[in-house]
Amino acid sequence: MSFTDLAFFAFVGVTILAYFVTPKRFRWVTLLVASLAFYWINSGWLLLILLATVAVTFGVALWIEASNKRGKDELAAAGKKLDRAEKKALRAKAKKRSRRILALGVCLVLGALLLLKYYDFFADNAAGLLKPLGITPPHFAFLLPLGISFYTLQAIAYMTDVFRGKVKADRNFLKFTLFMSFFPQIVQGPIPRHAQLAKQLYEPHDFDYTRLCHGAQLALWGLFQKMVIADRLAVPVGQVFENYTQYHGLMLFVAAAGYGLQVYTDFSGGMDVARGVAQMLGIELELNFKQPYFSTSIEDFWRRWHITLGSWMKNYVFYPLSLSKAFANLSRKSRRFLGDFVGKRLPPILAMFTVYFLVGFWHGADWKYIMYGVWNGIFLVAGILLPEQYAKWADKLHIDRESFYWRTFQIVRTFIICSLGRLFSRGETLEAAWQMFGSIFAEWNNFTWLSESTRLSLGLTERNWMLLFAAIAVLVWVDRKHEHGIHLREAIDRQRLPLRWIIYYGGIAAVFVFGMWGPAFDASSFIYGRF
Amino acid sequence: MEDILAILEEVRPDVDFLNEDRLIDDDILDSFDIITIVGEFNEEFDIEIDVEDLEPENFNTVAAMKELIDKLQAE
Repeated sequence: MSFTDLAFFAFVGVTILAYFVTPKRFRWVTLLVASLAFYWINSGWLLLILLATVAVTFGVALWIEASNKRGKDELAAAGKKLDRAEKKALRAKAKKRSRRILALGVCLVLGALLLLKYYDFFADNAAGLLKPLGITPPHFAFLLPLGISFYTLQAIAYMTDVFRGKVKADRNFLKFTLFMSFFPQIVQGPIPRHAQLAKQLYEPHDFDYTRLCHGAQLALWGLFQKMVIADRLAVPVGQVFENYTQYHGLMLFVAAAGYGLQVYTDFSGGMDVARGVAQMLGIELELNFKQPYFSTSIEDFWRRWHITLGSWMKNYVFYPLSLSKAFANLSRKSRRFLGDFVGKRLPPILAMFTVYFLVGFWHGADWKYIMYGVWNGIFLVAGILLPEQYAKWADKLHIDRESFYWRTFQIVRTFIICSLGRLFSRGETLEAAWQMFGSIFAEWNNFTWLSESTRLSLGLTERNWMLLFAAIAVLVWVDRKHEHGIHLREAIDRQRLPLRWIIYYGGIAAVFVFGMWGPAFDASSFIYGRF
Repeated sequence: MEDILAILEEVRPDVDFLNEDRLIDDDILDSFDIITIVGEFNEEFDIEIDVEDLEPENFNTVAAMKELIDKLQAE
């Protein structure tokens, strides 16, 4: 049951109704039942794998909390007798104990993800090494539990937050199960933090008509992005990527840029449906996209794109790695050889590369995804090491870096870098991506992609192309309004009743009439739902 | 306070640290700046700023950073 199925709309309708007629004390139970039912409908017995992760996470968090408390009690009992160094040693010892429990928890939940999602990848790569020994590792092709890449990160974040003393461990297993399985976000995020979401799920919310309307509008806008733009773009983009040897030069770049837009509208559309549905129930999920196509640098792009993954990586990989003793030693040693400037920046640079390697790998068990991460990592590191150089060049060329033209240039430059990176995430294989990459620069072939005959050979009719361009224009307009801090839904609220209803019905009609329905366009599974 | 300011201004000469009170919340300092600043603080003040301390409220203003350093020095 995808977000774009009519059955899902019915499911949401029944859940909302049930939620608000349930007595307040038990409203969270309604959400839990709905979430487990949703998971069961989509994944059947794989629900047990999710529940196993929930149980491990729940238990480990309580254990960590008990260990933290023991450490504090020990310190309080011995506190006055100890000097500063002894206190520090005692604190370190207690922390180490808690850290071991955390490591166990992380290994267990991450182990499940690695086994189910990445086993075959490792087996394939190990096969070459093991061949001389006459061993062929078996292939399992495990079925992936829905949302495993997302809820695993959520579980790690929760256990780490308990370890760091940021949140209290949950004591009610059923409530915690709801936190881990809340149906709008389980499919593809946003990846929540306990401090932000749990309380909202456990507390009852009153019915609020305006909020219900806003949630429905957001969900509708999500469906528009997904069904009118993303699923339509998928047709020509798929045609080019799947037959990439037939296309050359700029055409391949346009396809890569088109794929970028497809992923954006697919993922951001899915997020808006999730956030809209949650909002109707009175629950605010975190924002995952902030007009990424207005980014002026790759760094800026990653601050606006899949924000909750970026912030997860920052809090649970980048900071701990950068501040680790090993990295601090490396920094000290490298300063002798590389000088202060690079030496000081080496730990965060290495940590950042690790992050983007992981971001790539998280997307899928394939070298092309790793290359996608590395591609982004290269530009991020360049952005860190070369800003002074960039400034010098800009001064030499007498560029006013505050001007509109410079900002536009930055946005276009970022768009080109991002689009080229998409070759790796969408290319059929890593080799195919490199071949396309080479062709874009080597086979400079005029603008044949603009011609009507080329356009019509890509699987969309002229009417569909026009519709696609119009829908993209609407998207750009909406994103631009958001970029300027204008809240469209509130603006709609201020309109007179008839106009408001014309907008509502127009939106619904646009999705129903112009959405890509039916088996002819079977692109309706969400791209990030597969990650 | 002076020594803290000197470190901050070395890392980000373009920021007016005395008049900003949302250094993190407004994305004036990014995660990369934070790590560089933390490395310098650890060395200069002989403290160990931990991951747990990397919260916006500890780095939004110079005064907050000073408070964090004082707290860690007292521990």
